[in-house]
Amino acid sequence: MRVETVWLGRGGQGIVTATYIVANASIIDGFYAIANPEFGAERRGAPVKAFLTISKEPIEDQEPVKTPDVVVVFDDKLIDSMRFAIDAVKPGGYVIINTGKSPEEAKKLVGRDDVYLVVLDAIDIARRHVKLDVPNGPLAGAFSKVMGFPTLESIKQAFETQLGKAVEQNFAATKEAYEKAVVIPPARVDASAKPKGIISTTSAFLTGPYEIVGWREVNKAGAVFPGTSLLYTTGGWRIDKPVIDHSKCIMCRKCWLYCPDDAIVEAWREVEGPRGRRFRMKAIDFDYQYCKGCGVCAEVCPTGAIQMVREL
Amino acid sequence: MTAQLVAPKERKVAQKRIALTGNHAVALAVKMARVEVIAAYPITPQTPVVERLAEYVNNGELDAEYIPVESEHSAMSAVIGASAMGARTFTETSSQGLYHMYENLPIAVGLRLPVVMGMAVRTISAPINVWGDYSDVMAMRELGWIIYVTQSAQEAFDTVIQAYRVAEDSRVHLPAVVAYDGFWTSHVLQPLDVPEDEEEVVRYAPITRSWVKLDVDNPAQLGAVGTPEWYWEIRWQAVEALRTSLKVIQEADEEYGKVFGRSYGILTPYRLEDAELAIVAYGSIFGIVKKVVDRLRREGVRSGALKLRVLRPWPGDMIKKLLEHVDKVAVIDRAINHGGPLYGPMAVEIAATIQKPVYNVLATIGMRAIDSDMIYDAAVKIHRGLWAPNTPYTVGLRGYE
Repeated sequence: MRVETVWLGRGGQGIVTATYIVANASIIDGFYAIANPEFGAERRGAPVKAFLTISKEPIEDQEPVKTPDVVVVFDDKLIDSMRFAIDAVKPGGYVIINTGKSPEEAKKLVGRDDVYLVVLDAIDIARRHVKLDVPNGPLAGAFSKVMGFPTLESIKQAFETQLGKAVEQNFAATKEAYEKAVVIPPARVDASAKPKGIISTTSAFLTGPYEIVGWREVNKAGAVFPGTSLLYTTGGWRIDKPVIDHSKCIMCRKCWLYCPDDAIVEAWREVEGPRGRRFRMKAIDFDYQYCKGCGVCAEVCPTGAIQMVREL
Repeated sequence: MTAQLVAPKERKVAQKRIALTGNHAVALAVKMARVEVIAAYPITPQTPVVERLAEYVNNGELDAEYIPVESEHSAMSAVIGASAMGARTFTETSSQGLYHMYENLPIAVGLRLPVVMGMAVRTISAPINVWGDYSDVMAMRELGWIIYVTQSAQEAFDTVIQAYRVAEDSRVHLPAVVAYDGFWTSHVLQPLDVPEDEEEVVRYAPITRSWVKLDVDNPAQLGAVGTPEWYWEIRWQAVEALRTSLKVIQEADEEYGKVFGRSYGILTPYRLEDAELAIVAYGSIFGIVKKVVDRLRREGVRSGALKLRVLRPWPGDMIKKLLEHVDKVAVIDRAINHGGPLYGPMAVEIAATIQKPVYNVLATIGMRAIDSDMIYDAAVKIHRGLWAPNTPYTVGLRGYE
């Protein structure tokens, strides 16, 4: 038995910790496991990929997983940008996904009918138990449910060694996820079929629209010339998005003042007057391309016009 | 001892003969090259270079920024920064000073900055020994610097000027170090031919400013993160530039010969054409090695010698061609490769290059004095088969042969 898994998510969601916890728990259960994360500068919100292999035999071949048995996706907005990883799952394998969407919608998003799909609203569970947007404990629970290992008791022990704090809360979240995860079996399984693609070994750090070129074309001395961050959209990092009720907005612009990312913009809005006359007026809007969903605007809004709404 | 000079065919530039120590010759070359920023920390045996350069700047003879740094680490940092701004820079070090600047040495390579550094070579602590051997410069062979090793004050003077031309060539853009013997060159007064018109030096080696630099009109970021996707490719450019620099070093040397009447080649062979025994050496002892070769020739032993002048890039093909017909190749190493396959760094590289066993002789460690009789005795032992190849032998070490 050898299970190769890839865990995809964003910095701050506990992807690496999740692989450590599942690996640790598997080792407690008598398996051999190796969690070899692949990431660079640690930055909240940036895509992260981590590998975890669990086996009954000792593991010496520490290499990137190219065609996983299981892929765990911490953020449904990563499905499109990291579709290569979902395509690489072996037919009959598992895609475990954290989303607030319904299982049917999630199935449509993933777009594969030859793998087990496991759907879980891990953010909701984590928020209730841990009071944080870290879906790693619940996803470990979903993993345990569908794979049959590691046991919940071992996961609890692993929490103690890997986290050393908030063990009870995290374990409660894990246990709830274990019970709640929805498993959709594949419509068809062709065990002899090959995955559609492989996970490239050089893609771990690529988050921008780079063109990979040879050593002759790379900038001399590694010099970096002025570019633009406009192409580097960070709106995908959101879990909640701000939504405004214009009838409550008094245009005080406090949200604009406090937004750390220039994501509050003033726009023209067409409104209908009491006698049916249509006219344009200034209104607060959000630039969702760059809004990271921090919630500062909702926090400072004096009239409660801005609400944070689950998006993930 | 300075008989390595190739007789000038045509000397375009008027020159005068003066007497200077090796250190002061290097300082003069730096001045004539119109260096713009100097940052150096004095350490024996290179101190007189730094002192003389400070005098030049203070007297107004050299229009340069002299940065009095508090350590070699800062000296290298300062010249890297200045070079990144497009300035012609110089620093000088020895021994522990080099090790103190070590972490910055590969940065000059990765940023492709044509820093030129002098080095009056000295052995390493402990025990404390301020005297000359090649332990320091040998420790920077794998970093990507161009490494010259010179034999005399004249050669050090000429090579510093050549180094600027090579380092700043747009095909190269790499830092270069010019090493010469601590004390045996640095503090030895020798005759020196220098151009009467200093402008000739800058005409030969104009400041190109063609390297990647910080420029307010064309902003760029230097020294950014190189993730695993990019680092190797960027570094490989420096690898290829170093390989290409061999050709540039040769061109610069030939051109120097045409202008100033002196050229040294990448290697200096001596009576190697029909040799059955060759002695490979570097630095100031090459003069006495040649004396030994002449003596052996008089006694009927077909011997020859080879001087290494450029250690990086390694001129492997040339060495192979010069030594392929020689039966017995002895390498006099002046630094210890502790516990290495042979005990001398150059012996290892020569053996790998000619793919034959070599006779490895360690000498001058910690500046233990050596004379031509001692080298002659070693050569005779090798010639008679009393010494075996692939075994470390020493000249001058008590209680060990």
